[in-house]
Amino acid sequence: MLSKAVASAVSVTLNPKTTSKFFGLKRVSFVSSDSLVFGGKNSSFNADGLKKSRSCSRMESFVTKASASAQPLKNADELIDSVETFIFDCDGVIWKGDKLIDGVPETLDMLRSKGKRLVFVTNNSTKSRKQYGKKFETLGLTVTEVKDSFLSIVCLKFHRIPSPNSSEFSQEEIFASSFAAAAYLKSIDFPKDKKVYVVGEDGILKELELAGFQYLGGPEDGGKKIELKPGFLMEHDKDVGAVVVGFDRYFNYYKVQYGTLCIRENPGCLFIATNRDAVTHLTDAQEWAGGGSMVGAFVGSTQREPLVVGKPSTFMMDYLANKFGIQKSQICMVGDRLDTDILFGQNGGCKTLLVLSGVTSLSMLQSPNNSIQPDFYTNKISDFLSLKAAAV
Amino acid sequence: MINGVIWKGDKLIDGVPETLDMLRSKGKRLVFVTNNSTKSRKQYGKKFETLGLTVTEEEIFASSFAAAAYLKSIDFPKDKKVYVVGEDGILKELELAGFQYLGGPEDGGKKIELKPGFLMEHDKDVGAVVVGFDRYFNYYKVQYGTLCIRENPGCLFIATNRDAVTHLTDAQEWAGGGSMVGAFVGSTQREPLVVGKPSTFMMDYLANKFGIQKSQICMVGDRLDTDILFGQNGGCKTLLVLSGVTSLSMLQSPNNSIQPDFYTNKISDFLSLKAAAV
Repeated sequence: MLSKAVASAVSVTLNPKTTSKFFGLKRVSFVSSDSLVFGGKNSSFNADGLKKSRSCSRMESFVTKASASAQPLKNADELIDSVETFIFDCDGVIWKGDKLIDGVPETLDMLRSKGKRLVFVTNNSTKSRKQYGKKFETLGLTVTEVKDSFLSIVCLKFHRIPSPNSSEFSQEEIFASSFAAAAYLKSIDFPKDKKVYVVGEDGILKELELAGFQYLGGPEDGGKKIELKPGFLMEHDKDVGAVVVGFDRYFNYYKVQYGTLCIRENPGCLFIATNRDAVTHLTDAQEWAGGGSMVGAFVGSTQREPLVVGKPSTFMMDYLANKFGIQKSQICMVGDRLDTDILFGQNGGCKTLLVLSGVTSLSMLQSPNNSIQPDFYTNKISDFLSLKAAAV
Repeated sequence: MINGVIWKGDKLIDGVPETLDMLRSKGKRLVFVTNNSTKSRKQYGKKFETLGLTVTEEEIFASSFAAAAYLKSIDFPKDKKVYVVGEDGILKELELAGFQYLGGPEDGGKKIELKPGFLMEHDKDVGAVVVGFDRYFNYYKVQYGTLCIRENPGCLFIATNRDAVTHLTDAQEWAGGGSMVGAFVGSTQREPLVVGKPSTFMMDYLANKFGIQKSQICMVGDRLDTDILFGQNGGCKTLLVLSGVTSLSMLQSPNNSIQPDFYTNKISDFLSLKAAAV
């Protein structure tokens, strides 16, 4: 299987019409139906950065790792002891819709008691980090605001003891892709006199505002219609330097056209996607078309691929590793989706654990069509407690 | 191609009536193929009439017609339904072909109330989702179509066309059917069956219907990635006109790999070039 992957890496050519789905900023990863290809590192953040990395076909060493089959988690202690940080996806891992998954609070407590750092990374861009903090609170995990406007999740039963390795309070953080979009723009020194056109929800607007960027669009454009009279021309702001696209339940043609005009006509305009998830859990009753559909619409009209800031792009991973001074080999990524969470963990060089409490079933993991193999899989995160107990 | 070759927006391009007359007088068969799915063939016939051209319905092939013709060609069951993300033209052609449909412009007014536990119902009898340009596009339609494609066994995902831009008004380029189709590609992670250009479906259909040999056809269009590619895929001669979206510099750009057999300014050059040769 490895040689097949190598052959594919050399021969694959990029074409906007193929099914290559996810693009990282520093690393470019493609998932086609039967091969996993990694491109080289790209150190420059600019609109052309993506083009440059497409032509690189250098293989990364962790392709070997990717081809081994996932193991059912048996010795939870061994995994827990081997890492110092756990990154959790939220939907399908911590909660499902508006309900906490069984055993989550106790599991998080146990990990904290063992001195582990907990980070929560979600591709959902509808809320800001602050709003997410409130969701955690509503579900019974208390949130307190600490210095530097970071949010920390501390369970009532347990207070974090500052770790000797950190210079400030050990913190648990929430990273939503709404925050990632704003953080990305900050990281490239996006000019404050330029504007951002947002096709997405409130979370993105709040994070852009916090970061000091001017924006247009968002939910209110959901009510706008176009009067198509002969000779009608839609005006657009020439100062828009980036279009940020994420999940948008108020999606409509006005937004598609406005964003398309900015991307096509404003020189150097960036096309940024918070995420490309095909489906999302707007309510826990069924799967709902996700951010991947809004982004797909713009790919269709501009024939350009976006810079993706959410999973499986490693942007958020690099950001938090840098911020907390964590080594990636000391991280275990826990998620329910292969093509976002697990790929994210693998791209970052972390250990990966798939939970079956969300969108992925065991048969999907074991299907011949699936080429993404996490290190381990288990039913839900509270298995950390039961497997541990069983081993005693 | 009609827009950019015969007319631009609502105005006829110079010299078109005379050119068409000249070709007819030489016994040439004329066919008009457009990726636009907003009108039916009948409605297009009326547009030609308004502009002073005599063109019959049978000579017009819009991608709206192509979608219905495709479903007919595969014997799509009459007890199955079609969910339409698109405009009136598609609905009319489906009706003419005897297919049941849901969706279309009226779903443009539908919103979703996202209460906890809310489930959007969808018709399990939908056997095909047809996606084309839709100015009333919204999340309701994306979700409805996505549910059908993902959950109804064997449900087809058909695109009338994937044009990135279209000329809704002649003032500027407007995001085209490619954006609606792109949204569904994003949510279903499936590629559609494309019935419009550059897919050869319409070419095969009319070649079969009129008993024409493809080597005897010249495709005239203004877009390289739809019209010219369509002609090349079909094995026809190809002529690019510069009266629409493609300029000479775009044709000659190193980024362009689609080369028609010939190019000229506009179709009335058939008359002037002819005269020059005498």
